[in-house]
Amino acid sequence: MSSDLKNIIEALVFISQEPLTLDRIKTVLEGAPDEEIQAAVEELLKDYEAAGRGIQVVHTGGGYILSTRPDHDRWVRRLLQIERKNKLSAAALETLAGIAYHQPVTQAEISAIRGVDSTYTLKSLLDKKLIKIVGRKKAPGNPLVYRTSERFLQYFGLNSLDELPSEEEIGKILQEEKSSEA
Amino acid sequence: MPENILDPLPAADMTATDAVLAAAAAAAPPEEAPRDGYQVRLEIFEGPLDLLLFLIRKKKIDIHDIPIAAITRDYLDYLDRKTLINLDREAEFLFIAALLIYIKSQMLLPRETDLAEQDDPRQVLVNRLLEYQKIKAAGSILREREEDQILQWRRNFLPPLPGESELDFEEVSLFDLSEAFFLMMKRRSAADTRIIKGRDVSYEVKMKELFGLLNDGRVLDFLAYFETQESLEEALVSFFCLLELVKTRQAVAVQDELFQTIRVWLRKDARRTVAHE
Repeated sequence: MSSDLKNIIEALVFISQEPLTLDRIKTVLEGAPDEEIQAAVEELLKDYEAAGRGIQVVHTGGGYILSTRPDHDRWVRRLLQIERKNKLSAAALETLAGIAYHQPVTQAEISAIRGVDSTYTLKSLLDKKLIKIVGRKKAPGNPLVYRTSERFLQYFGLNSLDELPSEEEIGKILQEEKSSEA
Repeated sequence: MPENILDPLPAADMTATDAVLAAAAAAAPPEEAPRDGYQVRLEIFEGPLDLLLFLIRKKKIDIHDIPIAAITRDYLDYLDRKTLINLDREAEFLFIAALLIYIKSQMLLPRETDLAEQDDPRQVLVNRLLEYQKIKAAGSILREREEDQILQWRRNFLPPLPGESELDFEEVSLFDLSEAFFLMMKRRSAADTRIIKGRDVSYEVKMKELFGLLNDGRVLDFLAYFETQESLEEALVSFFCLLELVKTRQAVAVQDELFQTIRVWLRKDARRTVAHE
């Protein structure tokens, strides 16, 4: 049964457009004990890791999804005829980080944090669906309120906002920067 | 994702400005030597806070005890290096300059008692700098993650394969539907046939007919369907039914490409309710 379960889960992950959550898997496989599902998922992850394949199952955005291995980036890009994948601009990254730590947040608030007008950057992040509008603030002018999206988590390979860089990690970076200048 | 296009314009302006400045500098005799070893262009900074942090680090200043006068002088020095003005960006830099001068003036005011630490006029600025510093560091960690992640391709982030862009269809708006409808009406009127029909068509009957056609996940060709309508009235009623279905999110309307026909099908959950009826 357990290897059956593993194969079924593999099929589900394969067909899934978005990261397939454990809850979703459990709903589909109703009746199967949670521990067995958990074990099968883990075994599946191990299988992919061990077999040295071109694709891997990754845990991201709160679920499981198939991706190509980093080593094959070059070949994938050749197939897709993409010279190189665009990265976010420094402004976009800084704005995203600001939103991630201060959400829910308005345009004025994020601009104040950065000391820079962030209207354009917010628009471009919205276009990329890395942030979303979650409502309006009950304040003068009823400004829009922004949050990071599911796609944001996936984009950075995070499973939840808890996995954002912690105070310690940030402190370490700041320390490194300081000592590199000394 | 065309990242650079979406960047705020000032950055682009600035590089053009720079080119002009560089050309001018090359043409002029080299009498204006760099004022110090740190000839840094303003536009490499994300904003005024970034510049301020840079100056603080450069001078190895404790962020909690900033010598405001000295840092303000340095800061204004950097602003002076720019000869051409980009108002939007300039304003942001000047705002912080004004804040620095304000803080200095507050510190100069004679007071009867010594200030408690939290009343230090610099505290507002320090808090902002610390927060900004944190965000910037978090951003650099996220950058590493991004670089790691973009090497791993997933199909849900995949752009369409080259040469297969026709597969890139998107859901159409009600306006697209209306446009297609009027296009169809025009075709009909061009046919120039007059048939007098006495049959009344009700919304309910039409709705049932549409559900019948769309059941079992079948896909309806929007234009072809209207061609089969016998009268203007009938066509109008079916059009309203369709709009209603799209509006209540029971059906999806999709157009592969501009000016092509629109295909309609029921959403999965809607299919189920039909089955129940």
